[in-house]
Amino acid sequence: MKIKVTINGAVYQRDVAENITLLHFLREDVGLAGTKEGCGGGECGACTVLLDGRPVNSCLVLAAETDGKSVSTIEGEAKDGRLSPIQEAFARRHAVQCGYCTPGMVMSVRALIERNPRPTVAEIKEGLEGNFCRCTGYVQIIEAVLDVSGQADSKQEPTHA
Amino acid sequence: MLQNFHYAAPRTRAELHAILADQGPDACLLGGGTDLLANIRGGLAHPRIVVDVKKVEGFSGIVWSEQDGLLIRAGATINDVLQDARVQSDFVLLAACAHDLASYQIRNRATVVGNVVNASPCSDMAPALLCLQARAVISSRRGEREVPFKEFFKGVKKTVVRPDEVLERIVVPAASAGARGNYYKLKRINGHDLGIVGVAICLAGNGEARLGVSSCAPTPILVENLSDPLSAEAVVGAVMKAISPISDVRATKEYREHMVQMFVRRLVDEVKS
Repeated sequence: MKIKVTINGAVYQRDVAENITLLHFLREDVGLAGTKEGCGGGECGACTVLLDGRPVNSCLVLAAETDGKSVSTIEGEAKDGRLSPIQEAFARRHAVQCGYCTPGMVMSVRALIERNPRPTVAEIKEGLEGNFCRCTGYVQIIEAVLDVSGQADSKQEPTHA
Repeated sequence: MLQNFHYAAPRTRAELHAILADQGPDACLLGGGTDLLANIRGGLAHPRIVVDVKKVEGFSGIVWSEQDGLLIRAGATINDVLQDARVQSDFVLLAACAHDLASYQIRNRATVVGNVVNASPCSDMAPALLCLQARAVISSRRGEREVPFKEFFKGVKKTVVRPDEVLERIVVPAASAGARGNYYKLKRINGHDLGIVGVAICLAGNGEARLGVSSCAPTPILVENLSDPLSAEAVVGAVMKAISPISDVRATKEYREHMVQMFVRRLVDEVKS
């Protein structure tokens, strides 16, 4: 079926298979392979993109459903060869190890700080509860979010829990 | 790649009813897709046609009506519930259950209607809807009918909804507004997880208390008509009589029974004070 979808500000008109997920559409049809497939079942959050500004698991959305909608992916973060502030904070705080969860993590953080510019540690954990990271133990990721939200000197403990 | 199916996005109620009348047994309704697409991928669902209810006119959002109460339409997501001002002020139990459901991303897609039509024993929204005496408004080309949630679930993943029908909206009666309540859900982690047991309580203005229990029977369970709603012992007794937990991959029967009692005691204490 024919769809018209805005991805990172550019309009795409494509004929898509009715059974293809947004994740596979982005990676295989559009060629935006920054969004990763982890579990493929809505558990891990590696495939998180923003659909009309809200973070969703793109493995659980059909491309057909996005007709007339707007999608933001990790490719929309860096501009003119410069990392976005969120990406810079991730780099500065060593919030990336293998990097597989990072595109989804960054998109969840993007949505979080847009709806809540100074989130508490509890709010950060809730905003990222659907994004699994098997390397960092999350502490550096939470520190990166505190950093990018202007709370680098926060006394809040980004401990495990 | 998912198995082959057709995708239909009817724009009107009549178009939706016509598709279901013609192809109901081969169709799966698509709300948020957080269960359906995972099930198709896992080979557990084999629809020939996937019918998206989100684009049907009048099927999205949450509406408050002084006369009827809170109308949660088929396309309303869990985060729609959490962000609704009326829910925040008057339906705290609904918000508590919604807040404990899955992850932020899932809550942006998953619908309240989807959570109940899937009729999982561990549904998070069912305990609240049972406690608040909500009703399901089910429609088809044959007309519309209302079923109270205490008569809605028929078994594991079975409900009263027939293949040509759609659960169009949920009505949470205005009389339930302002009820106190809370939900405790036992999970392995403090985040995105399925429930091991869940217990909800609501205490209405007239002193009547009701409890909803998930993951402790083939269907979510309602416990009502309590002889002494403020006595933890009496409430524990009534709840234990109503549930029939099993041992499975997530917990043993004994652990479930123990934790249900703990949660009931805590909740009764909470609503008393």
